[in-house]
Amino acid sequence: MSFFMSFFMRSRWLKSDLRKLRKNSAAALVSIAPTMKIASNDDESVKPPTGYWRWGERRANGASVLIERRAVWVNSALMVALVFAAIAYLSLGSLTLMPREVIMALAGQGDMMTGFMVQELRLPRLVAACLTGGAFALAGILMQTLARNRLATPGIIGIDNGATAFAVASVVGMSVSIAPSTMALTGAVTAAVLTFGLAAGSGTQGYRFIVAGIGVGAVFGAITQLLLARVAIDTANAAYPWTVGSLNARSGGSVHLLGVGLAVGFVTALALARSLTILRFSEATANGLGVNAKVRRIQILLLSVVLTALAVAVAGPVGMVGLIGPEIARALSTPRHVPVVAATLAGALVMVLADLMGRTLLAPIELPVGIVTAIIGGPWLLWILMRPQRSHA
Amino acid sequence: MKVFARAKRLNQRTLLLCLLTALVAVSLVSLLVGAGNVSPSQALSMLLGGEDSEAYFVVWELRAPRTLIGIAVGMALGVSGALLQAVARNPLAEPGLLGVSAGAAFAVALALVLGASAATLRISVAQLGALIGCMCVLGVARWRGVGNDPIRLVLAGAAFSALLGAMTSLMLLFDQRSADEVRFWVIGSLAGRRLEDLLAVLPSAVVCSVLIALIARPLSALALGERMASGLGHHPQLIRALVVLCVALLVGAATAIAGPIIFVGLVVPFIARAFAGPDIRRTLWFCLPIGPLIILAADIISRVVVAPSELPLGVLTALCGAPVLIAAVRARRLPTL
Repeated sequence: MSFFMSFFMRSRWLKSDLRKLRKNSAAALVSIAPTMKIASNDDESVKPPTGYWRWGERRANGASVLIERRAVWVNSALMVALVFAAIAYLSLGSLTLMPREVIMALAGQGDMMTGFMVQELRLPRLVAACLTGGAFALAGILMQTLARNRLATPGIIGIDNGATAFAVASVVGMSVSIAPSTMALTGAVTAAVLTFGLAAGSGTQGYRFIVAGIGVGAVFGAITQLLLARVAIDTANAAYPWTVGSLNARSGGSVHLLGVGLAVGFVTALALARSLTILRFSEATANGLGVNAKVRRIQILLLSVVLTALAVAVAGPVGMVGLIGPEIARALSTPRHVPVVAATLAGALVMVLADLMGRTLLAPIELPVGIVTAIIGGPWLLWILMRPQRSHA
Repeated sequence: MKVFARAKRLNQRTLLLCLLTALVAVSLVSLLVGAGNVSPSQALSMLLGGEDSEAYFVVWELRAPRTLIGIAVGMALGVSGALLQAVARNPLAEPGLLGVSAGAAFAVALALVLGASAATLRISVAQLGALIGCMCVLGVARWRGVGNDPIRLVLAGAAFSALLGAMTSLMLLFDQRSADEVRFWVIGSLAGRRLEDLLAVLPSAVVCSVLIALIARPLSALALGERMASGLGHHPQLIRALVVLCVALLVGAATAIAGPIIFVGLVVPFIARAFAGPDIRRTLWFCLPIGPLIILAADIISRVVVAPSELPLGVLTALCGAPVLIAAVRARRLPTL
């Protein structure tokens, strides 16, 4: 029986949350209560809970907001790291620039050549890296929370591959050019429907769900190869970057679409943040705390799929970022909330650094960013699998 | 009861015969059908004694080696899949999924980048890589009980092969010369392989056949559990080591010839078990015709579907193997081995 139960083992972070809940139920009530509190006029002396700042308590209408200190520190640290990584990204390359020159060029000063290199060549690529990294990681943490399974990132359960197969189809298979973003969206939705449909019987928490997703991904990977084998070599070369994941062949339109999508998606994810925190518990708990679990799940799934598809249309399947970004964010943050902002920032940081490594390490040859993230993310994934699991009893 | 058992046994023999007939038929089709100007009827009349030099060349020089190699690769992959599943006691253990093929491919790419170019060297290097990959995966399986959960083991194997695959493509990017040499090989295909490759793996095939004949009986005892096997006078550790060696030799050889082909080692024992029941020895017998059948059928389809160009064989095996994986995973209870 315990052998059977182990299939439905929950992921570890969820379990640690539950333990904390049991240990200190009073603190837990605070942590899952809405963060917006209406304070009456006479309780200004009430201290905020440990680890929080109260903001806005002196206001006349008495509304105040609780801000988690740790989240502020983590997010600003990640932001600073991202800025430094961006400056490094802009200055390193075939021609090495000084950081001062880079900043001058960004401001529109300095000589023409540097300005051209920074503003026309490196900056668009940096923006694409930040956007795709953020989108993959945000989609990853949404999917993980939704499936209550830290391995369930879009890249692992085959959604990336579905989007890639359809995007490649739009390039090689059709005489009518449909924008890759649209086709990637169709593919991602198809793959998500397949994976979740196949998992309908057994739930999404076990490893079965993941392996079914790997199977779906393998089918779509084969379809991609099939499409590439059918066409002339030039067309196949044009579609090749999508198959390994690279920022080299991005099209401007897809990047704009991704920018809009990520902005909307990020705001939506923030609006959903409270539901996300509660959805980590069982469906009954979530419903009891006033979250319509069914509706929220569909919204989260949709958001995650759309973000993945838009990012794949730009950079191809760099799915490992969707695993690494949330892992970093979760390691840095408290388990009180789902670290949506931190995950997005960490994903962008990982993508920028990985692409920087890919561009500079073997200098004349450029490594596709998908290969760099696979080499970093593979051992990470193995480590997650190998970690000692607590017994279920 | 006895009569019933005998009837079932007889049934299995007829079934095996049917499969062998089917294999002969498919091999014939593989000789007759293909890209190029030689039509099936032309090829058939040549085979029946007609004089047609072009058809002679195409059939005997191009298609016959390919068919033979397909048969050999199919047998090797099918049998190694069944062996690996028996020793890991896991119906999802598959050389391609668990990173054995990826280990072989990685070793070959590494050898090419380091400057090796001889075709014969490739086979031993691939076998060494397969051995290391196999030991890594089984080591992982025994470490901290990952192997107790069949599905987690597959996941670890998938992560491991993804890592090795990325490192292989990294090395190929680094070195353009070997990339050109390897590119036609790394996707998995039977096209353009020469008969010499097949002859080069003959020694390891003989060694494997002898080894498998020796360990088949202890291996079926191992299915009863480690203690029971020791009680019956076998050495579980030794059996396991020999099986790993066999799997590495077979998968390494098959990968060196045809490139990494995944899912065949999953599908073939899956079908064979349906025919043969739980006995590993019968399963192995059934794997012998089923493996080549699947490889040849996939190869014929890959030649016909997009003629005059060809599909990579690995694509077709993935297309038919992934649904089997999903079905196996979705089954409420995994069949235990």
